[in-house]
Amino acid sequence: MLSRTMRNLHQLIGLSGALLLASCGSDPNSPGIEYMPDMYRSPAVEAYVDFGQDPYYFEDSLVLAQRNTQSARLPVAGTIPFSANPDKAQFNFPYPYPATVEGYEAAGLNLRSPIPMTQENVDKGKVTYEKFCLHCHGTTGKGDGPVVNNGKYPQPPAYDGSQLGTLPEGKMFHSLTFGKNIAMGSHAGQLSKEERWMVIQYVKYLQAGGKMPGEMPATVAADSTQATAAAPATK
Amino acid sequence: MPLPSRFSKNFTGLLHATLAFVLLLSVTTAHAQKDPALYGQGEKVFKGNCAACHKPDKDMTGPALKGAKARWEGKGDIYAWIKNSTAYLGTGNAYANALFTQWAKSPMTANAVTDAEIDAVLHYVDNYAPPAPAQGGPVTTAPEPESSTAWQWLLILGLLFLVVVLSLGGVKHQLGNAVREVEGKQPEADLGFWGNLGRWAGNNKGWASVLGLLLVVFMVLQAWDWAFNIGVYGGDTVEHYKPTQPIKFNHTLHAGKADKNNLQINCVYCHSSAEKSKHAGIPSANVCMNCHQAVNEGRSPEGTAEIQKIYAHTGWDGKAYTGTPDAIEWVKVHNLPDHVAFSHATHVSVGKIECQKCHGPIDEKMDVAEQWAPLTMGWCIQCHNETEVQMAGNGYYDEIHRRLKETPMGNKELREYLEDEKITVKELGGWECAKCHY
Repeated sequence: MLSRTMRNLHQLIGLSGALLLASCGSDPNSPGIEYMPDMYRSPAVEAYVDFGQDPYYFEDSLVLAQRNTQSARLPVAGTIPFSANPDKAQFNFPYPYPATVEGYEAAGLNLRSPIPMTQENVDKGKVTYEKFCLHCHGTTGKGDGPVVNNGKYPQPPAYDGSQLGTLPEGKMFHSLTFGKNIAMGSHAGQLSKEERWMVIQYVKYLQAGGKMPGEMPATVAADSTQATAAAPATK
Repeated sequence: MPLPSRFSKNFTGLLHATLAFVLLLSVTTAHAQKDPALYGQGEKVFKGNCAACHKPDKDMTGPALKGAKARWEGKGDIYAWIKNSTAYLGTGNAYANALFTQWAKSPMTANAVTDAEIDAVLHYVDNYAPPAPAQGGPVTTAPEPESSTAWQWLLILGLLFLVVVLSLGGVKHQLGNAVREVEGKQPEADLGFWGNLGRWAGNNKGWASVLGLLLVVFMVLQAWDWAFNIGVYGGDTVEHYKPTQPIKFNHTLHAGKADKNNLQINCVYCHSSAEKSKHAGIPSANVCMNCHQAVNEGRSPEGTAEIQKIYAHTGWDGKAYTGTPDAIEWVKVHNLPDHVAFSHATHVSVGKIECQKCHGPIDEKMDVAEQWAPLTMGWCIQCHNETEVQMAGNGYYDEIHRRLKETPMGNKELREYLEDEKITVKELGGWECAKCHY
């Protein structure tokens, strides 16, 4: 009797061992086994890596809930990125134009680039342009990037065409910040204000047919925006 | 055959023929109206001026343009409307104002086009035929056959050898018994495989101990190798970690080369914090929606279904965000132990390392992202040892570069750096413990 129980017990242990091994190998979302997991998975919370508290001391359900908390979050409403660098002070101001048609028109009339149109800024803008714009707008802004050609994406108008050839820089900034219609989304989350303005310098360079459209000093317009007017004169 | 059935059959045939004739007629009349030259001109003007907001056959920012001419018939001047919609709204035209209200009061850009060009565009959209579906999906290479076939062949050879040895042993045993039978002795009992092995080992102690030692060494080495692969989920020695993601995002299609029919979107378009932060960043869904507001169809029905999942997570109904957004629970692929500090910004912006150096051919043959590199410490410090620091035109190293140039032989450490005429990451502290473990 006892021996039979023992044999059954052995079989049970063997079976569960086999199941355990199989389960380790078959879950594609589990990376597998590791040495000293408590050293690999500290209770410190970092972006994308919240391992939760030590499951040895806490309930599994609690640990699992902790692991599944959302780590990517929106910035607190009303906050703006701040730079203590005095050269970048003009970017520390809130954007005064609302995401409406009226805001778009007002930005076109009043908003001026806080950075000067220089070869250096154009070169920096080109680097950013090639990473963030080229795949739709194309190498020279003709609207012939690979996403349009291979992805059957609605073709954007050419930078030097009748629609965008005379587009004021304020409207460009507004569209980069809030997006334009359905085809172009907001890029404010990917590009800082300074990067957006540098891209615009390069777009103006493309509008002029790939050459410098003449040196334009920054903030010439008398009816400048609150943002640029309030910005302290740098240097 | 009974009569009614034959009658009905004939009748169906007649019906089919008539239907086919009518269809043929309608197709030919449509063709007769379509003027290829005008169609081509219209397509060009359409793509240059209208395509950013309109599609011929589907609503986008503005309405589908197919049949627009017919819709405007008798209600107003479509030419004036297209040339300057804001001015035309001012005339108080009822249909124009109704359209403006219906399409969220976003004004149509004024278009510097002629009447002839508008005619061409209207001809194009009325006769629009969608292009033939793209030839296949992105070019993806089939998984290469495993290179581990060598040991499989060895195993097969070994098994064959064993079979030969065993059958020879069996034959010898039976022959020996036959001889014993002839000689009138008792046949020897069959000891079985292990019994025979034990007897052989007893008779050949030297060989048995050498073979036994080899076996033990082999097993220890195997265990050693196995233990080294614990916690390693990438590299050449183990199967790469490749979790199933909630949305089957295809890296090769989005980031692959344009000449292979891929979209060639730069890696940092989506992973935009790679140059600025410790983390490359898992893009938030608004980055997906930058394009997928306009692209709601994939290259296959499966792809379209995956795009629908983004809409479900963002609450997009095709025109506006009306639903409740929730998080997409991506599965993290690259898990570095918590006792290592790794910064993407340092490696990408300062070190100018290509993404592919660590993430593998993610733009060429990774439809599903996987951990390509082993992410072991040996792998890290090997690269730190070999990689030459790129100082030219790299603002981060200006100061150290200046010092190195100004005191080329004066300082013992600098002299050591320059002995092999190159400065590696290791020489600038890339092998210090606290460089990564802090």
